[in-house]
Amino acid sequence: MKDTTIIECHDVTVAYGREVVLEKINLAIPRGVLLPFVGPNGAGKTTLLKACLGLVPHQSGTITCRFGAHPPAYVPQQKQIDPIYPLCVTDWVRQGFFPELGFWNRPTVQQRQRLEAVLARFGLLPHRNKRFSELSGGLRQKTLLARAAVSLADILILDEPTAGLDAQAESDVLALIQVLHREHNKTILWVHHRLDQCAALAPQVCRVEHRGATVEAVREMFR
Amino acid sequence: MTVIRFGMELIQLFPETLICGTLMAIICSVFGVFVLLKRVVFVSIALSEVATLGLAFSLVFHWPPLLGAMGTTAAGVALLAVPDMRNRIPRDVLLAALFLVASSGSILLVAQHGLGLEEIKAMLYGDLLVCSATDRWTLLFIGVPCLVSLLLVLRPLMMVFVDREAAQVMGLRSGLWELFFFTLLGIVVSSASKNGGALLVFALLVIVPATALLLARRLWAVMAVAATIGIVVVWAGSLLAYAFDLPINPSIIVCSIFLFLLSAVHATAKTER
Repeated sequence: MKDTTIIECHDVTVAYGREVVLEKINLAIPRGVLLPFVGPNGAGKTTLLKACLGLVPHQSGTITCRFGAHPPAYVPQQKQIDPIYPLCVTDWVRQGFFPELGFWNRPTVQQRQRLEAVLARFGLLPHRNKRFSELSGGLRQKTLLARAAVSLADILILDEPTAGLDAQAESDVLALIQVLHREHNKTILWVHHRLDQCAALAPQVCRVEHRGATVEAVREMFR
Repeated sequence: MTVIRFGMELIQLFPETLICGTLMAIICSVFGVFVLLKRVVFVSIALSEVATLGLAFSLVFHWPPLLGAMGTTAAGVALLAVPDMRNRIPRDVLLAALFLVASSGSILLVAQHGLGLEEIKAMLYGDLLVCSATDRWTLLFIGVPCLVSLLLVLRPLMMVFVDREAAQVMGLRSGLWELFFFTLLGIVVSSASKNGGALLVFALLVIVPATALLLARRLWAVMAVAATIGIVVVWAGSLLAYAFDLPINPSIIVCSIFLFLLSAVHATAKTER
């Protein structure tokens, strides 16, 4: 399964109104990778991933996604989440069961065990009854990652998971991303800015520019 | 003892007022929790006014009041569902325009057709005292099913509300769920507006759930507390109005604001501790 392509873009163009953000993008992403999307600000990294998820319409070209039996899990930036909702960490993480449970089913014993294991692995047990508004930025991001981890999704798509975090929280979140990839065998595509950190985490990156996106080895980029 | 005596008299003399008020309180307060969480307070006040415009149409053209209120509210919801121009002007401008058109339109309509100040006042401020069995059945057969529908789809709705994009990736059509919520809200507002009036409906949709948000931590608890506070303020306000010969709807609103202030003081004190 490792070599199966999960996302294939062919001549994809994305525009917001008249402003073309991505033009004639050709890209193939294999299953099982830990792939940071890097590039200058405004290059369209997030837009490309959102277009692949169907969150942003593309003007032309084709995007073929083979996500498998379960929908991918999308993790937004924690600052995009409104903390007003009266939901505790457990409620947030439990949302990851939605594709399995549907509208009305209650979590099974196995699912509850899975939830406990993820909360423990992500260091969220002491905070499980806290509301999102009572968490630090790092814990908020961990909660969102845990929601993705608890789901059966094979593919995780993260939008700048370390944005706005201090150095310690950033390193914790990056370590958890590695855990999700290595221990949970998740394919992870994520938008990141720091190439030096990418080099330590992943063998290759997807470099996104206005007129192209290429998957290349990190060492090639340092040449 | 006097309070109990007043209460018993109130139950005997105005049973429909208390039944309709209680139903309205439960339905609007629970819906209001989501109005606040979704930060669409202005949508609720705009829809209340649009429902009032429908009532004005009904009054002038002798239509069934509920039909007029629902017709204009449906039009209001449809207008709000149109993709906005938020890149150029804030969405609040559309809401303000809707509010102004509806409130001035209803006054003009009623004034143009020779109806007096009393009719305008009754329409804008409502009067729970004149609730009838028809109003009770309207709330039971329209408002209650809307509330049940909301509770039945609470899980997907919350998914969409808290994280629109993640919900969409999970297969939920966020836009349609939001439209569904606003349609239910529109129906609830129009069914409550005839006797509630725009102001009381707005208070039940905003002030009462805000009090509950200050007092409870979890979603279900917030909804339960909101419904309970709604009932308490309707009964307390009715009692106050009966005891001191005051208009009933403003009395309920004053009670709700009083409880809100008490809760705010309590919440602030708790935070500082």
